[in-house]
Amino acid sequence: MTAQRRDWLPGYLFISPALLLFLVFVAAPLVGAFGLSLFHWDLLSTPEFAGLDNFRQLVTDEATVRAVINTFVFALSSVVTHIGLGMLLALGVHRTMTRGTKYFVRTAYFFPFLVSWAAVALIWKYVLDPTFGLATHYLQELGLPVTNWLASPTWALPTLIVVDWWHTIGYTFIILLAGLQTVPAQLHEAARVDGANAWWRFWSVTLPVMSPTIFFATVITFIGAFQIFDPMLIMTNGGPDGATRSIVMYTYEKGFQSFEVGYAAALSLVLFGVIMVATGLQFRLSRRWVHQ
Amino acid sequence: MSPAIDRTSFSLPLSRRGFLRAAGGTALAAAAGGALTACGGDDDQGSATKELSLVYMGTAEEQAAWNKLFAKFTEKHPEIKLKAEGVPGPGWGEFFNKLSTRLAGGQVPDVIQVATEGQRLFASKGLLAPLDDYIAKDQAVIDEYYADLDPNLIEWNKKYSSTDGKTYYLPGEFNTMCMWYSKDLFAKAGVPEPTARWTWDDFRTACEQIKAKTGAFGYAAGPEYFAAIMPWLLTNGTSSFSDDWSTPTLNDAKAIEAAEFNRALVADKLSPPPGGQFDAPTALAQGKLAMFGGGRWPIISIRNLKAQTRTGIVPWPTKVEQGSPVGWNGYPIMKASKKKDDAWTFVKFLISAEGSSFFAQLGGTIVPARKSIANSKSFLDNAPKGTESLYQALSYATPIPSPDKGTAVQKAIEDGWKQVLTGNASPADALGKAQTALEGLV
Repeated sequence: MTAQRRDWLPGYLFISPALLLFLVFVAAPLVGAFGLSLFHWDLLSTPEFAGLDNFRQLVTDEATVRAVINTFVFALSSVVTHIGLGMLLALGVHRTMTRGTKYFVRTAYFFPFLVSWAAVALIWKYVLDPTFGLATHYLQELGLPVTNWLASPTWALPTLIVVDWWHTIGYTFIILLAGLQTVPAQLHEAARVDGANAWWRFWSVTLPVMSPTIFFATVITFIGAFQIFDPMLIMTNGGPDGATRSIVMYTYEKGFQSFEVGYAAALSLVLFGVIMVATGLQFRLSRRWVHQ
Repeated sequence: MSPAIDRTSFSLPLSRRGFLRAAGGTALAAAAGGALTACGGDDDQGSATKELSLVYMGTAEEQAAWNKLFAKFTEKHPEIKLKAEGVPGPGWGEFFNKLSTRLAGGQVPDVIQVATEGQRLFASKGLLAPLDDYIAKDQAVIDEYYADLDPNLIEWNKKYSSTDGKTYYLPGEFNTMCMWYSKDLFAKAGVPEPTARWTWDDFRTACEQIKAKTGAFGYAAGPEYFAAIMPWLLTNGTSSFSDDWSTPTLNDAKAIEAAEFNRALVADKLSPPPGGQFDAPTALAQGKLAMFGGGRWPIISIRNLKAQTRTGIVPWPTKVEQGSPVGWNGYPIMKASKKKDDAWTFVKFLISAEGSSFFAQLGGTIVPARKSIANSKSFLDNAPKGTESLYQALSYATPIPSPDKGTAVQKAIEDGWKQVLTGNASPADALGKAQTALEGLV
């Protein structure tokens, strides 16, 4: 028993810095958020115990339901498109380019990811401006119909999804490209000797070897997409008519605009739950397709 | 909206700590307490140091103008050290949100700047010290000040910024809304310049003729509550809320009519589509826009664009009656301040003839509360013809309706109005929906 404890101690000591950070910045706020969600509090007055009021309100609040749906639409479509387009980009860059252009293209695709969301959102607001925006100008030149994208309840969310490609796809692309480079050439050669065509080699060699990378990219993209906030705040302010209000955006509105801090805490717990469940599900499903 | 407030025992830092402890149990309180002391440790510092602290809304650029004012103050009162901090924000709502978060975090300044939009909120939370005793002590100073104000300003301040009969604010500088127009474009299109009693029809005709003759937009319609929605409601004889701000009235027929009028301007391309980055003062100076609504604040852009002499200011066109929203500044003293006497000295300096004259020249974005200064050269020089209309608007203006949840209220109104302008929803539907949202907020 004592010998065992002597073995544990250094282990705990080694993880203690990380553990401390985790306790202070993750566990404590989480417990705090749970505590807050049981109160009505407007930041300025004394908090009032509310029991489960905030959670009851969650279920009946149409705006919450809408925000959850918006977030799912955004997250699912960005996962699918990021992985799909990122994979195409990675394959293209990996296969067809010379060494020099490969470096250039890799940097070019990754670059937007280094620009902060706030700057990206502002730039795109100018590009999409209905009066003098670049996008408006070129579409008109081409004789295509022009919409006031960010002010249209139908187009606002798809527009943000596209802007998110521009900003974030480079990241997915880099991860997938790295995965692609780990596929051993001998496997490809062996498959070729066996008479497999390009498509078949991709399907039965590249994909299985890459599956852990794809899995990682999926989980990361999904979590990131669920927490999306900046472009909503800057480009559309959650509008028009709540069409781009994400869970985080709504949490911010409730907490810091309507001063319903308890309700905002309850919302953030919902987000936490959704991410936990979604990620857990992904891990669960991964057993079926991720090559260990 | 808010739970009952215990005014007598109200103490922010204490209640926050106590609350955290109650909410998170001891483990959390230990962790959070440690974290909070580490990063928010100047709980008591503000009162322990000798500096008088002021928090106002303003960018780093505006800080320069304030600094000059503080230098003037320090000249007269070398015994008081002033430390001011500007919190930049796109609007008052954001400023109050940031301020509230700071207060909840235990950082309490001595004096804050609060516009009409947040005055009732801060007063009703019991955060401010009543000024009545100070006023009684310095009655002569206050009488002299009040004698120089428009009586409306004093009355509104009393009516809207306190709920318990005590005085928390002295009315300060304000903004009303008028129409700024390009004299060049009116001349080029052969349209006579607007007069003080022009109508919506005159306005619409001017927009059409200018568009036809010069290709320029007539007016920049937008969804801003104070600057682009309220003037149209008020000149049509309605408002966003009832007189005591208790009942929203955004779905009444006259409000819907005003929204339709604005939608038609966008639909007929007399106004640029909303939701973009259209910069009205620049477009006006470049001859691409004939009119935009504004208080005093566009003066900075207009001066930068050197368009003072090519621009004019007239009262808003009317349909039913003259109207303009008005919002004014107050500089309340926080209840938690330990330097209330110094703070009062500073507030008195702000309202003094010397202080406000100096401020009128520096600030530029607001109209001085004192009649004598608003009518003086320091305010009217180097400004468009008709600048005096801004002060005159006080005689027919309406305080901007600002219930406690001001930011959320503003957002609901602006969302609805934007839906109308873009043509995504009919005025009756969009404003009806906004009305429902507002009913849930008051």
